[in-house]
Amino acid sequence: MMSWADWKLRIRALISPRRAEEDLDEELRFHLEMQARKHRAAGMAETDAEWRAAREFGGMTQVRERCRDQRGLQLMETIAQDIRYALRGFRKTPGFTITVIATIALGLGLNTAAFTAFDAYVLRPLQVRDPHSLYEALWIQADGNDRRLTWRDLEDCRKNAGAFSESIGYEHLLTRIAGHPVIGQLVSGNYFAMLGGETILGRPLVPDDAPAPGGQPVMVLSYRCWSNKFAADPQIVGQKLFVRGYPLEVVGVAREGFAGVGDIPWDFWVPDTISPLLDTANAGPLGGDRFGDYRFRLVGRLRAGWTPGRTRAALQAWARQHSASRLPAERIVRVDLESRATTIPLVREVVLSMAPLLAAFGLVLAVACANIANLMLARAMARQREIGVRLAIGASRKRLVRQLLSESILLAVPSAIVGFAIAQLTVDGCVRVLYATLPRGIVELITIIPLHPDWRVLLFMLGAAILAALLFGLVPALQATRPNIMQAARGEFTTDYRPTRLRHALVVAQLAVSALILITGAILLRQNLRISGVQPGLDTRGVVWLDVQSALGTGVRRQLAADPLVEQVEASSKVPIAGLLRWIAVTPAGAKQRTPAGYLLASPGYLSLFRVPILRGRNFTDEEARANAPVAVISQATATALFAGRDPIGQKLHIHLDGNQIRGANSPAHSEVTVIGVARDAVNGWIGSGTDATCIYFPTTVDAAGRALLVRVRGDAGAARQRLDSALAQSAPGAINQIQPMDEVLNIQRYPFRVAYWLAGGLGVLTLALTLAGIYGVLSYLVAQRTKEIGIRVALGANYRQVVGIILRQSTRLAAIGIAIGAAGALAVSMLIGSQIPNMEPFDVRAFALGASVVFAASLFAAWTPSMRAARIEPVTTLRCD
Amino acid sequence: MKPPIELLQGTLDLLILRALQNQPMHGWAVSERIQQISENVLQVNQGSLYPALHRLEHQGWIKADWGVSELGRRARFYHLTAAGRKQLEREAENWERMTEAIGRVMRLA
Repeated sequence: MMSWADWKLRIRALISPRRAEEDLDEELRFHLEMQARKHRAAGMAETDAEWRAAREFGGMTQVRERCRDQRGLQLMETIAQDIRYALRGFRKTPGFTITVIATIALGLGLNTAAFTAFDAYVLRPLQVRDPHSLYEALWIQADGNDRRLTWRDLEDCRKNAGAFSESIGYEHLLTRIAGHPVIGQLVSGNYFAMLGGETILGRPLVPDDAPAPGGQPVMVLSYRCWSNKFAADPQIVGQKLFVRGYPLEVVGVAREGFAGVGDIPWDFWVPDTISPLLDTANAGPLGGDRFGDYRFRLVGRLRAGWTPGRTRAALQAWARQHSASRLPAERIVRVDLESRATTIPLVREVVLSMAPLLAAFGLVLAVACANIANLMLARAMARQREIGVRLAIGASRKRLVRQLLSESILLAVPSAIVGFAIAQLTVDGCVRVLYATLPRGIVELITIIPLHPDWRVLLFMLGAAILAALLFGLVPALQATRPNIMQAARGEFTTDYRPTRLRHALVVAQLAVSALILITGAILLRQNLRISGVQPGLDTRGVVWLDVQSALGTGVRRQLAADPLVEQVEASSKVPIAGLLRWIAVTPAGAKQRTPAGYLLASPGYLSLFRVPILRGRNFTDEEARANAPVAVISQATATALFAGRDPIGQKLHIHLDGNQIRGANSPAHSEVTVIGVARDAVNGWIGSGTDATCIYFPTTVDAAGRALLVRVRGDAGAARQRLDSALAQSAPGAINQIQPMDEVLNIQRYPFRVAYWLAGGLGVLTLALTLAGIYGVLSYLVAQRTKEIGIRVALGANYRQVVGIILRQSTRLAAIGIAIGAAGALAVSMLIGSQIPNMEPFDVRAFALGASVVFAASLFAAWTPSMRAARIEPVTTLRCD
Repeated sequence: MKPPIELLQGTLDLLILRALQNQPMHGWAVSERIQQISENVLQVNQGSLYPALHRLEHQGWIKADWGVSELGRRARFYHLTAAGRKQLEREAENWERMTEAIGRVMRLA
């Protein structure tokens, strides 16, 4: 180990080598003077004394050199030497240098861009007080569902569990304010105090705003919301804004950067105790008529010195006791704690779900490194004679490896800088593209958290660059300086001297990675094609969906019905295409087994509104809907699944509800219904899961509470949406929580798949291009190396076709091995992804065939030019040279 | 006067450390002191003295500061560090054991 003083000396020696040298000179001069003085004192003449002192001392330069060696200053000097040497080399081969920098920069840039997003969401702590001590409690019931707490549960937990030093309740609230879609939070009164959320205007929410059910009708806006949606209006405090049809007074604007805790940056905060006023969506199964039905999440701060484990145990003990009187299925049996230090907690599931994507980016970098390793290796081999000579005249292997490594580090530094610029451009470009291509319906709603690079990104970049430099530099350096290179210096190639083996391994690895990415990409692409190819089976054109505040529903429906633009008004228990269907268990009459089935409550005109034909039997009548008759229409697929060939019309269906579901509201009202019709299959559930595997339609009326309103309009749905929205904003301010054309809903739901499609495609093409360049480079080099051998073959009578065959056979063999490994990897990866994504087909034969054949064709293509060059070798010239 | 003896390999470090045990000194003084005490039997080769001083400094056993010499000229003064003192003890002990062993062999073998 070197001491600090030593480092200081070295650094000083490096920064001002003069100074250290001068010190040494002065010290030695002093010695000479003293010695000369001694001789003079003994009676010598002036010049004799000096001369004798100098002679006694010996070679000044050698002494100086040896002193320098002792201090270890040499290391710095040799590094400086290596750097100068490497730079000279780069100047001589600018093409090589630029290729290396561009390739590595691309790999680094893409990885850094991906990491920037990962960092912003998963690693960067939220801007709240002491975010690392914040944990959210998840309450797991005996039936496996997680349960949120009522306001009273929260109060009880706070008083009696003693687990957290302080805690808050919250739930999110999606709505529109002054026409802008916004997402805010219902929070307990101590939210701002606990999180350190100061305000720049007015005051934060305080405990007095949310003392008991009822609470104060007040709200605090986030800085972003205030500046983006209200043009940073300095007079905002004191104004009344309609939230879910209810006027709330703005009492403050939070400081810049404060966005609360949770999955996204929030736009506003209101007291949780005013939930009933706003009729928020977090009501329990009975609907929101009692405050006790509203449910909240709990986030608390660890007590000083407590571990999450201890806190968890305390919460668990409280929860078990607290829920002991409930139905067995609803008792809380487990409590999980999830960190709220960052936007998305860094837990196993999150890492697992991001792993394929991050791995894909990592592999692109790996391919880039393999390319450059090949290039460096080829270069080192081309310099083998020089290296051999240097080894022969006594350069240590360590010294040579260090020199080759410093070359790669020197290449990594500008690569990192260019890569950083690429990363910034990529992030910027992606955000731009995202905003440009996002369906209009959500572009206003989503807030991308700022993706500026911080120290973690820089650290990552540095680490990746060093790793890359080691990857593409160390292997060739070790290979090129193997002691038996001595033979290479003499131009001898013995059988055990085989740098080609390593290069073959690199090519195979590259082909494997390329095949892996392309096959996985192909599987994803085909999966996405399938999804974007899924026809909803609903005619969405001309239909507008509205989420209306229940309390104001009647007025809105009346106005809609009277509007000349509106043709038809219908309702359903959920908006089709987005979100999964609810499930129940059913037993057809005569059967014993319970079968799970999706269901939808729909008004009588729902199917005709979406132009879904009834294939057999009939639809519900208005009378049946009003009387809540025990009848049902089932989809064709459901008929096949439940009645398998029998005529379903007139059959009875027995309906079971599990513990959580209560008859009425959003669930079927009867325990037995008669099937009266069969409708064509459609997507009422989520478009990502494809056409509904099962769907049972139960009748409901347009006037029932908590329904999605669906309106067929005359003319363009987008224009109609604008007209209806502004008309309703006049007559019933704040009544419309969401209003979207159904085409837009469809776009929004398909969008993530489109993004995945382009991402997989883009990465695949990039990897393929890198691999192509890699194979081409390596094969060119192999041909160059075999020139002599091929020359001999040609001289002995090998013809054009035979020579081309040699080269192509070699590359074919490499390609086959690489593709086989890549395909095996792709299978593993797609099975992993398949376990995360529903409806995924990991054994997609066509995707495998497609990916493999593209890589194979590419490798042949890359081998073609070098093989032609080999065939044109003139035996006389090659045999004469060297 | 008999001619001075060449220093045994490896003993120079020990002598330098010992010379610096009681007070800081510059390089020239170290060589003079060794010569004087040994009554001119041990002659320090000047060409080895400075590399040795720098080596010891590099190892952290001695430390150098610029000071003013007895004649008012700037000079580098070396002094022992704590680690240097320990090293001196160790080496002195080794030396004792070795000379004793050699002496016994010379007498009895």
